[in-house]
Formats: sequence, structure tokens, C-alpha cells
Amino acid sequence: MMKGKNRQVKDVIVKTAADFFTPIALVLGFYIILHGHLSPGGGFQGGVLVASAVVLIYLGYGYNEVSKKFNMEIIKKNEALGAILFTVFGLAGIIYGSVFFANVFTNIGDVGDLISAGTIMFMNNSVGYKVLTGVGFLILLMIGLLAPDNDN
Amino acid sequence: MQHFPILSIVTLFLGAFLTVIFGSKNETVRKFIALVASSISLILVLMLIKPVMIKNNVIQYWLGNWRPIHDWAIGIGLEVDALGLFFGIIAVLTIFLSIIFSFKYTKKDSETDKYYVLFLMLSGAVLGLVFTGDLFNMFVMIEIMTFAAVGLTAFRNYQEGALEAAFKYLVLGSIGSSMVLAGTITIYSQVHTLNMAQISALLFNNLTPSALFAFALLLAGFSLKAFVVPFHPAAPDAYMSAPSSVSMAFSGMVNKAGVYAIIRLVYVLFHAMDFKSVQILLIIIGTITMFIGVTMALAQNDFKRLLAFHSISQIGYVITAVGVSTALGLTAGLYHALNHTLFKGLLFLTAGAIFYATGTTDLNKLGGLARKMPQTAAIFLIGAFSISGLPPFNGFVSKWLVYQATFQANLAPVTIIALLVSVMTLASFIKVAQSIFFGQMPKEFENVKEVPLSMRIPMWIMAILCVITGVLPNIVTKYLVSPAVTAALNIGKYIDLMMGNGYSEKILGKPIEIPAVDFTLAGYWDPIAWLVLFALLLIAVTIVAVAGGFNAVSLPTEVDDPKYDVFFSGEASEHSHVKGNDLFWGLKHDLRHYFGFMHDAHSGIINDYALWAIFTTTIFIVYIFLLVP
Repeated sequence: MMKGKNRQVKDVIVKTAADFFTPIALVLGFYIILHGHLSPGGGFQGGVLVASAVVLIYLGYGYNEVSKKFNMEIIKKNEALGAILFTVFGLAGIIYGSVFFANVFTNIGDVGDLISAGTIMFMNNSVGYKVLTGVGFLILLMIGLLAPDNDN
Repeated sequence: MQHFPILSIVTLFLGAFLTVIFGSKNETVRKFIALVASSISLILVLMLIKPVMIKNNVIQYWLGNWRPIHDWAIGIGLEVDALGLFFGIIAVLTIFLSIIFSFKYTKKDSETDKYYVLFLMLSGAVLGLVFTGDLFNMFVMIEIMTFAAVGLTAFRNYQEGALEAAFKYLVLGSIGSSMVLAGTITIYSQVHTLNMAQISALLFNNLTPSALFAFALLLAGFSLKAFVVPFHPAAPDAYMSAPSSVSMAFSGMVNKAGVYAIIRLVYVLFHAMDFKSVQILLIIIGTITMFIGVTMALAQNDFKRLLAFHSISQIGYVITAVGVSTALGLTAGLYHALNHTLFKGLLFLTAGAIFYATGTTDLNKLGGLARKMPQTAAIFLIGAFSISGLPPFNGFVSKWLVYQATFQANLAPVTIIALLVSVMTLASFIKVAQSIFFGQMPKEFENVKEVPLSMRIPMWIMAILCVITGVLPNIVTKYLVSPAVTAALNIGKYIDLMMGNGYSEKILGKPIEIPAVDFTLAGYWDPIAWLVLFALLLIAVTIVAVAGGFNAVSLPTEVDDPKYDVFFSGEASEHSHVKGNDLFWGLKHDLRHYFGFMHDAHSGIINDYALWAIFTTTIFIVYIFLLVP
């Protein structure tokens, strides 16, 4: 009964749904990351949404396709990059303003524009970047545990 | 200067992230990053000594400039007073020396980039924990610390037991973190703030049942992080299977982070040391911790496992002294915490050096290495004398203070137990010294060499610090310990500096009195006190002698092994290897029921240990509800 190991993904409905929902997840996720300083949500929520695209691709196309498309090593480095960017924008608060994490360059752009609200927007985006790579990495790791053994 | 605390934390985290990007291929790059990050952090923290310790300032820092509005803290704040800085100095010292040591020590390991990433995360988390002024931030840092520590425990996952130890640490650590989180939530639901200064002000004379519940949960959670006895079983496994440089960090700063949190909790947050019952609770768990730790250590046959149990035992001294709650007691506790970091770090590094040179830390396999590794042997002896409390090394000073503080508080039984524990500590280190460095050398260690210079340098630094803190107790007390003691007792200043001048007076209706801190009684070389000490020592030695001296049952002897003959009388004894197991068999034989019971209790099953933790927490809750008004 249990044939999970060598199952071929042939289900057209799941595949079509994955094709359909993956762009939506990506666009919505990036929208929420970018508008974190203006609207509800933020880096973390958007990042998780973007990372969920990995699950959708896995459901539609199976492990082999996912492992071909994503390079875990690069994702890991990008996650660290997100963290570094976040720290650097935090340090900008010390250099250009008063204290760590202080919001500086607030006078650029009008209220409600995408480019406004100072460095808080970039901090938010860095969090989003870190979370989408980090959660994506975690999901890939878990999918890897479900992967069919290549040895036998 | 104002930015130093946050920069010292951020540097370590930044170092960890940079290691992920640039250090994954090149060994030199990752060592360079780790060295630079830890030394910047060390320098920044040491530069805080002058303003905080000597000029008695408190650094307050609101992240993102979210200052309190209408006397209500809304942002996350850092508050570095002398108590936090004292533990911060302990942490950065450990981080720096441990990183230098691990350069050569981890050369046989693969994927050391992960080692440095996790180590720097651990360091940053400990530093963040001691510098933060926000209760929830403290929880976050404890979480980062625990998970980095779990990862480092399993770093040598090819070693037997490493994964099991990491799993135990993970389960017990998560129980502790959950208790801290539950306590934090309970406090927040009552006072609607997370800033520790404000909580301290609002909870003054306002200990509602929910606050007491939170107190019990937080005390249990932090005790688990400090590995006091009913919560300790994850510690020996973790210390044993982690690399020695990490074991040093565990006992040097991860333990101390728990101790710091307990001190902050009972003295500042809840003003709980006014209650006799809380003092007694801390003294009881401290005494039990030191006694069980040392007796378990006597029965161990692995160097690092033995050190781990001693680590637990020494934390017992610290908790007991902190529980005495006089200025002298707190001085003794903090001094011993500093000394414990120095000598236990030194001993763990020695264990690492032995492992590096011979590939084992099993006391029954080693022997006679003093000829091959003279410097390591000398360093080990300094560490062993320090931990056993022999003058003029640092353990003597702080243990002396512990004896004096407990004796003055009319707790003579505790003093006697502390002395007895000290004697047993010395006994077990005689065993270690005999079975590793002296005696016959097994044939397979003919080609053992002294460890490289970069491993000896941190060991020598720690050894010299051990002697300095032992020879100059007045200076160390004046510039490091006393400011921290004053800061722990001076709660009004802690509140006022964070929330604005006059806040504590407005909330509490009257200024909090600064208790008079009297150090005149801390006489280190008082002759009459010496006489009392010798009398007490005599009692302790007599107890040991009575326990081990009169054994009527004769032990079965193996006639074919010449080591059971009368020593040095026959010719066959030339290559008789006296193993660690052979020492103190009389004591072990007479106390076999106790050791058997302890052996059965430490079943190695994580369910049992989790049960212990939950059960002890329940006792804490009941005790605090019954006895603390």
C-alpha cells in the first residue's frame, strides 16, 4: 500500500494548482515584504509566504525538480546576507542618528509612498529576505528528509 | 561609551553571519573573523570597566530611541549596571580565550565554519542576556543560547553519545525556556510591561498570587539554565561530549548566565531576598547542589565528566552564598562565580589538551603524562589547587568568603558541608592528578607531545589570572566585586536610571533605602578565623576518615595483578598501572549504597530527567505559595 518512495507525480490537478498558486504566493509575499512599513504584515509574514512557494513546487513537481532548482548552499549564504543587511541598517542608526536601530533618513518621500519612512523600510525588507531564505531553507531540509533514497 | 554594550553584542552576531558567507571555504578567513569579532567585543566590554565599575555609572540605552512615555516603558532597553558588567566581563574573557584555544584544537574536525557560527551566536546571546534590561529580550537570548549550545554539544557527532547528549540538552533546555516564557507572560499580564526596572518598581510590596506563580516559574527556569541539582542531568553529558573549548564556554558563561538571571530575579525584580523563606530555599538547593555534584564527581572515571560534576558542585557554592543575602554572602557568591570561570575554564582546557595529545580523557587509560607534557601538568595543578581551595590560589579566597558568610549567618551546618565538599573536591583532583599526570605511563603514550603554543597561551593566561585573583583579593573585590554587589542591592538606582529620576519614589511613595554595604568583616587572613577554619577542617576530615577509615569487610584481591600486593615490595610491580578507578576505593566501597542509589537515579532516560524538572518546579511553586506571603 505504501508506495510513497517511488511515487511519480502525475496528478494534473495538483500540478495545475501549483502552477497557478506559485506566482500568487510569490507576488503576495513580495508585496507584503515591500509594504511592511505601510500596511499590516511585514518582513516575517511576507517571507513565510514567499517560502511557501517551495512547498507548492514540491507538491506539483516532486523532489527531483525541487532539488534541481534550488541550491541550498547559496540559499544559506543569502540568509546570512539578510541578517548582515539588517544589522548594517541598524548600525546606520548609530552613524547617522542617535542610537542603534534608530530610524534615520525619514524625510525622503511623501507619507504613504513606497520609498518613505526612512531606514525602517530597509530593515523590514532585510528581515523579509532573511525569513524567505531561512524558512525556504528549512522547508528544503524537511523535503530532503522525505526524498527517495538515491543509493538503492 | 554609551554604544559600547550594543556594539559588543552586535559584533559577535555580525561575526557569526559573516562566517557563514565568507568562512565556509577558507579556514584562515573564519579564524580571522572569529578572532576579530571576539577581540573587539572583549575590548569594548573592558573599556566599560572604568565608567561603570569605578565611576559607578549605569549605562541605559533605548534601542531605536523608544524612550518611556508618561513613565511607561514601551521600547526595548539595555541597562548595564555593575552586576551585568561583572558577568559580561566573565563572558567576554571566556569567549576570547576559548576561541584562541579552538584554533588548533579543532584542526582535526571537519566543517569548523559551523563551529564558529554557533560559538559566536552563543557568545552574543550570553552577552545580550547579561546586558539587557527587558524581560522578554532575556527570554529570546536564552533561547538563542540554548539552541546554539545544543548544536555545539552535537558538534562532534561521530563521538559516541554526542547526539544523545544534545537531545537531552534540547529537551531539558526547552522545558526551562518554556518556564521562563510562562513566567514572563504571567508577569506581563499583571503589570503590563516587560522592562525589568519598571517591573521591579511595580512589584514592590505588590506580590499578588500571579506574581508569586511567575516567580516560581522563573526561578525554576533560570535554575535549569544554571544546572542546579534536580535540573542538572543534561549537563554532564553535554560537557563531556562537546569539544573542550565549548565545555569551557558552557561552564564559564552559559552556567553563569543562569546564575546572573537568578541574582537579577531574586534581588532586583522581586525584592525576594527580604523573605527568610526565599533565602532558605536558595541555601537548600545550593547546598544540595554542591554536595551531590561533588559526590557524583568522585565516582566518575572520565576526566571531562568529572569536571562537569565539579562544575555543578561549584555552582552550588555560588547559589548558597547568593542565598545568604548579606553583602558578604553576595560578595562571596560573585567572587566564586568569577573564580569558577577561571579555574574551571582552565581545567576544561587541560582536558582538551589531554584529548588533543592522546585522543582520550578516560582516567583508566591515562597515566604518567607529566614527563611528556610538563606545562600542561603545571597548569593542571594550578587549576586543581584553585578549585580545591588551597592558598594562595583564588579558590581559597572565595571559598573562605563562603565559609565566613554562611558562618556569620548562623548557618554552621552549611559551613561544614561546604568544607566537606571542598575536601572531597581535593580528593577527586588528587585522583585525577595521580591517574593522568603521575604514576606509570602506559606504553601507547610514548610519542605524546606537548600541545602547540596557541593552545598553551590561553591556558597560561587563565592560570596567571587564577593566581592574580588569589593573591590580590582586595583589589579584585574593590574594583570588580564590590561595585557589582552594590549594584545588586541598590535597586532604586537601577529603576531610576532606566525610567527617569524620581520614578521609583513616585511609584513606591518613598525612596528605596540603599542597604549599607559593609565589607569590613571580609577579613581574608584573620588568625582567629584561621583557627576556627582549622577546627572545622578537622571535623570535616574526621567525618571523611570515619566514613572511609573503618572498613571491616576485606575486599577480594586479585593475586595475579601485582598492584594489589604490598606496594613496591615485589619485583613484578614495575609496570603496575594504578588506574583512576583504583584510588579511593575504600571511600567508594563504604558509601556504595549511596553511590548505587545515585547511579540508579541517573538512569540516562530523558523522561526521568524531565519528570525531575517538572516535579521540582511543582515543589518550588508550592513552597513559594506556602511560605512567601
